[in-house]
Amino acid sequence: MSDKKQSRIRRHRKVAYSLLSLLVLTLVLPLIPYAVAEKDETAGKVFNPGTELWRDVRQRDRDVIGTTQMKSVDAGVLINEYGETWRHFRMQQLVPYGAALMGIVLSIILLFYLLRGPLRLQEEPSGKKIERFTVFERTVHWFTVAIFWLLALTGLILLYGRFVLIPILGADGFGITASACKEAHNLFGPTFLVALVLLFLTFVKDNIYARGDMLWLLKGGGMLGGGHVSAGRFNAGEKIWFWIAIIGGLVLSVTGLILVFSILGQSREIMGLSHVLHGIVALVVISVSFGHIYLGTAGVEGTLGSMTTGYVDEAWAKSHHDRWYAEVKAAEDGSDKIVDEPGLATEGKS
Amino acid sequence: MFKHLVDGIFWDIALWVFTIGVLWRILSIFLVGNKKDLSVARTTGMTGAIAANISRFFPRSEMQSRTRLHVIAGYMFHLGLFALLFFAAPHILFVESQTGLSWPAMPYWAFIVTAQLAFVGLLLLWIHRVMDPVTRLISSADDHVGSILTFIVMLTGCMALLEGFEGLRVLHRFTVELLMVYFPFSRLMHAFMFIPSRAFTGAWFGRRGVKA
Amino acid sequence: MSEALELGINALRGQMDTRAMSYFSSCVRCGICAEACLFYTETGDARYTPIYKTEPLRKLWKREYTFWGKLASKMGLLKPMTESDLSDWEELVYDGCSMCSRCSMVCPVGVDIAYLIRKAKEGLSAAGFSPADLVAAGERADRIGSPMGVTSHTLNATIRVQEKETGLPVPLDVQGAEYLVLLSSGEIAGFPEFIGSLAKIFKATGISWTLSSEYFEATNTGVQLGNSKLAAKLVERIVTVAEKLDIKTVVSPECGHAYTTIRWDAPNFIGRPLPFNVVHVMELLDQLRQQGRLKTKGYTEERLSYHDPCNAGRRGGVLDQPRNLLKMVAPNFVELPESGDMNWCCGGGGGVSSNERANPLRLKVFDAKKRQLDAAKPEGLVTACSNCRHMLEDGLEHNHMYDVELLGVTELIAEHLVDGDEA
Repeated sequence: MSDKKQSRIRRHRKVAYSLLSLLVLTLVLPLIPYAVAEKDETAGKVFNPGTELWRDVRQRDRDVIGTTQMKSVDAGVLINEYGETWRHFRMQQLVPYGAALMGIVLSIILLFYLLRGPLRLQEEPSGKKIERFTVFERTVHWFTVAIFWLLALTGLILLYGRFVLIPILGADGFGITASACKEAHNLFGPTFLVALVLLFLTFVKDNIYARGDMLWLLKGGGMLGGGHVSAGRFNAGEKIWFWIAIIGGLVLSVTGLILVFSILGQSREIMGLSHVLHGIVALVVISVSFGHIYLGTAGVEGTLGSMTTGYVDEAWAKSHHDRWYAEVKAAEDGSDKIVDEPGLATEGKS
Repeated sequence: MFKHLVDGIFWDIALWVFTIGVLWRILSIFLVGNKKDLSVARTTGMTGAIAANISRFFPRSEMQSRTRLHVIAGYMFHLGLFALLFFAAPHILFVESQTGLSWPAMPYWAFIVTAQLAFVGLLLLWIHRVMDPVTRLISSADDHVGSILTFIVMLTGCMALLEGFEGLRVLHRFTVELLMVYFPFSRLMHAFMFIPSRAFTGAWFGRRGVKA
Repeated sequence: MSEALELGINALRGQMDTRAMSYFSSCVRCGICAEACLFYTETGDARYTPIYKTEPLRKLWKREYTFWGKLASKMGLLKPMTESDLSDWEELVYDGCSMCSRCSMVCPVGVDIAYLIRKAKEGLSAAGFSPADLVAAGERADRIGSPMGVTSHTLNATIRVQEKETGLPVPLDVQGAEYLVLLSSGEIAGFPEFIGSLAKIFKATGISWTLSSEYFEATNTGVQLGNSKLAAKLVERIVTVAEKLDIKTVVSPECGHAYTTIRWDAPNFIGRPLPFNVVHVMELLDQLRQQGRLKTKGYTEERLSYHDPCNAGRRGGVLDQPRNLLKMVAPNFVELPESGDMNWCCGGGGGVSSNERANPLRLKVFDAKKRQLDAAKPEGLVTACSNCRHMLEDGLEHNHMYDVELLGVTELIAEHLVDGDEA
């Protein structure tokens, strides 16, 4: 008994230390660029007549717009000062913080896996299978997955390629890769909106806030302390991920369309802002998706089957989604949905 | 080096394998022959054969609710692919350089839209193939290779869209050559064989007075 | 290679033709055929996908008729066909398919899947992988002339009862009659009123007709088994009788596969054109209606629907005639949803009804029919196939649907007949 208790205390201590060290890392990592950046002590102290001219050209102080025969948005701007701000943000903030975010999420997942391990079923698998996702639902899910990762990978290459790929491919090789990725990213972009609409329509009805979701969240979904937490077809965590995906996806789609269709009359500032949002949201959604992938595969025993064959074991349904399980059993055609051989059973058609 | 092969000997080989392969495949099917139907027909089989070749483009209303995904995704993919294959500006230029024939290309925006339709259709069809127990059971490696190869050809085509890098064009052409070599030996042959198949079925039912 | 396997493979080889090869080269494995098949839609079991039932034939085609197949089998990369490639398909092909051809109507590349399943049956039956019940029925058909063991004595007794009931003579073995009427054993045993009804109608319309005591069976177990030799033998008997009696037109009774067999397949089984015309009894009655010879009086107020027998309708082209006839007497006629050439099968075609082993599955897939009936809510269901009628009876009973009455078109017309004398 005491052995068990001690090991639990040890485990809790390990978790606490890990979380603490992660917190420290999170706070320290963003400071690295500041520490590394060179400080120019002489800036602004010596008068330089060129600076005045330069300041005028950049229209920094005054809101002077030049005139030109050309008729297009921002045609009167000689040098877009805002572009420099944007470039600075991209190189100094988006790139390092984004990498840090993804790295931290991955580390948390790895730590969690090492310390807590996969969540096991609370009872032996019964062998009886219950339909969790229909053919159509699974098709929509994987369709979204395919397009999301095509976009994510090409997007990450465009953002991080110069650091990761140039050393491997060389500048010319990366040039080709980047061009290919840009074309593919732009072309696939709008199709993500199709996936998003399908995803929304297919899953929204079970992702509305319901009673018990808050309790689930307060208990941490049963992931930290163990013990059973009641949930419907989707638990609060899944619902949050759904809305992150939908709202994040919507932001990505809208900002992406603004960036692709540069002919609609939007100004550079709108474009720059779109890019900033696009980058931040993309990195957040990608990071959260790591957690989703972990929980759907190695993290929770018996979950993957729900998205491959469409079926989960009865025991899985009971321990993770007890209220949903009760609903299915109580339904009129409930007996049709609980079967022995999943591959050969009735599948709902849309 | 690779570029010369792809633009030269590889292309020649692919073209020959495709042409001879398809012709040989069709010939080998028709050389076997059918037994003559000795029954007295209600109407000629020819009418039925032609009618079925048209009517099978339109799904039966009774099937709509059960095959919506097949039909919508199927049409998105096939129409998109056709438009890309025959009306993309670089393709027409290529045909012109080879044969001197030319016809109007679709505008750039239409190209983008059709490419997206084709991609969405192909992805949905292939994922559905893997997800639905029916198609999973009846699909073989051939079906997956065909789908993935087509996807890669389309993807490399889109990646070369900027037409700024010779390497991307060569990559696209190389994957096309792979597809052409694979074509005659695979289910991709349906692109030609659906016509006689519909004709046989249409004629058989047509002789009996049934519109198939 | 076992003897059974060799026999099966040889039979399959004999089935390969341009049409089948064209079909296999067109199929893109889209799975739409499954969505049309009642054995899949009602069970959800993917193995009942129509095109999957043709696997024995497709495997042979792949091995021996395609480039990669030939190459791979020469190099030993492709496993040779085994007995289980045939035996494992027995249940799918014989119990899980009623040869209704609904799948053939919906294939986007135009594959007539039923045509391929019919060919696969030839291989299975040659190898001996057919249901024992069906094999026994085939033996009875061969030996006695009726798959149900109905003899000419039974026929004679039935005829006498019908003559007594109608007060009309039923002609037997009349030399030079215009029409020779065939019967199915199921009709003689289950719905003998058909004979009396015909006697009434033919008397009223002045038709010269006859039955044959030598050979009366219209059904063909050889077709259901997939045994063309037996099928040809049974067809030859009809031809012999018709030639002996100098018959101009042979009438197929209310039976689906009997009609497609004698009307469409018979000349191909025996390898020469038939020396007579063939009509389905629905076609004959509709002709008489058109000529103004068939007249009815009175109506039935019942809400009637028509169940298209797959073989007579979808595979035989008898779709409008029974409807024309029904509309003469049933003003409240209502179509079932998905009727006509897309009608759902009763579940008992293609020999399934003779195969007791398949009964639970057959009653399960009757749910498709039940859905149609629940939607149209007819008071009476009329059909033109005695086998369908038996199967519908069974299915309605199984589902406790006691308020749907079952009728045959011919009897319904006979009930409302205007007598020759009255006119």
